[in-house]
Amino acid sequence: MKPQRDVYIAGVGETKFGKQRLEFDALGRIAALAALKSSNIDRPDIIESAYVGNATNGLVTGQTVLKDLGMCGHMPIINVESACSAGGMAVHLAVREVACGLSEVSLAIGCENHSLHMQSGTAFAPAMTDIETMHGAVMTGKYALRAQRYMYETGAKPEDLALITVKNRRHATNNPYAWFKGEISVEEVVNSRMVASPLTLQQCCGVADGAGAVVVCSERMVRKLGVDKPIGVAATVVRSGPYHNRPRDITGDDITEACAQQLYEQAGIGPDEVDIIELHDAFTISELLYYECLGLCGKGEGLRYLHDGNATHGGKCVISPRGGMLSYGHPIGASGAAQIAACVKQMRNECPGYQVDPAPRIAMTHVTGGGLSGTEHAACTMHMLVRP
Amino acid sequence: MLFHPDLLEIPADGSPPYLKGYRCRACGQLDFPKLTPCPNCWGEEFEVVPLSRTGKLYAATDIFIGQGGMKPPYSFGYVDLPENLRIFSQLEGEIGSFHCDDVVELTVGTIRIDSDGTPIISYKFEKVSG
Ligand SMILES: [Zn+2]
Repeated sequence: MKPQRDVYIAGVGETKFGKQRLEFDALGRIAALAALKSSNIDRPDIIESAYVGNATNGLVTGQTVLKDLGMCGHMPIINVESACSAGGMAVHLAVREVACGLSEVSLAIGCENHSLHMQSGTAFAPAMTDIETMHGAVMTGKYALRAQRYMYETGAKPEDLALITVKNRRHATNNPYAWFKGEISVEEVVNSRMVASPLTLQQCCGVADGAGAVVVCSERMVRKLGVDKPIGVAATVVRSGPYHNRPRDITGDDITEACAQQLYEQAGIGPDEVDIIELHDAFTISELLYYECLGLCGKGEGLRYLHDGNATHGGKCVISPRGGMLSYGHPIGASGAAQIAACVKQMRNECPGYQVDPAPRIAMTHVTGGGLSGTEHAACTMHMLVRP
Repeated sequence: MLFHPDLLEIPADGSPPYLKGYRCRACGQLDFPKLTPCPNCWGEEFEVVPLSRTGKLYAATDIFIGQGGMKPPYSFGYVDLPENLRIFSQLEGEIGSFHCDDVVELTVGTIRIDSDGTPIISYKFEKVSG
C-alpha cells in the first residue's frame, strides 16, 4: 500500500544472529529495546500497538515478548504468522496502522528461536498436511529444482551460484550482527557437503536464531520524539502467492515479480534508483533469480549482472550489504524485520566497517514466505524506504 | 498403506496404476490433486479422469539432508503431464541419474515410513527404460 499519510521509521534494533541460548521472547526484547531507545522512547505507554512476527515458537508469542517491557494491557498486540515473511509482514502491518491513523507509534518485531526446538540434521519442510511435504519435499530441494532448471536453461555452473555466497560473506566481514562472514573461496563453497543437488551447505542459509525490531510512527511523533534521522516508508506491499498446478517457469517467481511491480508503482521509484537491497537470499540461486524478478536486469541476465560487479560496493546496487541470509542465517519469523533494521542503519550511516558509501538514500527489502504446494511462495512482503 | 485414495488408482485386475485427475462437471477445469470445491467456479461435482502415465521431468534434485523421519538420499522433481498438469513426485532410480526433460513414467512405491513403522505407498515416477 501507499501510505495515506507520511509514515516514518523512528528507530530499529537487531540481535546478533546465530545459535542462541536465549529464547525467542528474550531475543525479541533485545531487538525491541534497541529500537525503542534509538527512537528516544523511554517508557512503555508511548507505544500504542504492536505487531509481532514469529513462525514456529507457539501461541501468543507477542504478549510473551512484551510483558516484561510493560507493554501488555494498554494496547493491542497482534501476532503475525506467515512463515519466512512473518517479520516483514509485522512491519507492513505497523505501517498500515500508522498510515491509517489508528496509532501514532507502533512497534513491529520479528523474532524466532529454532535451535532450541529443532532436531539437528533435518531440513525445513512445509506443513505435514501439504501433499508435496508428504511426498518428501523440503525447502532446500524446492530451491534446488529452481537451480537445476536455471542451470539447464542458461548454462550457469555451480561455481557461478557460489559467487553469491562469496559476495555476501565478504559484505558481512565486519558486521557484528552477522553469523557466517569473511573470505570464502568458490572451491570451498562448491566442495562443501551436498544438501540438495546442486546446492551445497555453503549455498544454504544457516538455521539461526535472532530478532529484529522497527518503531514506526507519524510525522508528528517524529517531531515530538526528536528523532533526528527518520527514514520514510515510501511503500509497502504484501501479496499472497497464486496457486497453480500447471507447468510454469520456476526460473521466474510470479509472486516476487507482481509484488515488486506494485511496490515500484506505489513508491514512484524504479529499480534503477534503488541504492541497496536486502532480499530473500536463503539460497544462492534465489538471489540470482531475484535480480531478474526485481527488474534489476533482464530475464536470463542475472549471471552477467553479478559477474559485472553490479551487485556489490561500487556497482549499480549493493545487494545484501549486511551479508544477507547467507551470512546471518534465517530465523524465519525474524528475518523480514531484521532486513529493514539493517537497511535503516545503512541509510543512517551507522554501519562502521560494512557501510555502503555514500550512505544509501533509497533501500528496498524483499522477503517471501511459506512453501505451499502449487505456489512459488505463500506470501511475499516488500518495503521501499527513502531517506528524506 | 496407500497415502490417499483420491490421488492414485491401483486397479485390482492388475492393469497399470494411474493418477486420478478431477474434471469439474460445471466448468470443465481439470485438476490434480483434487481441489474442493473447484477453484474456478466452486462446482462440487467431478468426473474422475485417468491421467497420462508418462510425462516430462521439468527439474529434479537429489536430497542429502531430508525431512525428519525420512532416510536420505532420495530424489524428487516436477513431472509435466500432457494434460497441462505438473506433478511433484519422488523419483525411483539411481541418485544422480535424473535430468531436466527426461521422459518418465508412473510407478508405485514407498514414499515414507510412518512413525509406527508402516510404509506409506503413493505415486512415484521412474525413467522410461531404453
Ligand atoms: Zn469448475
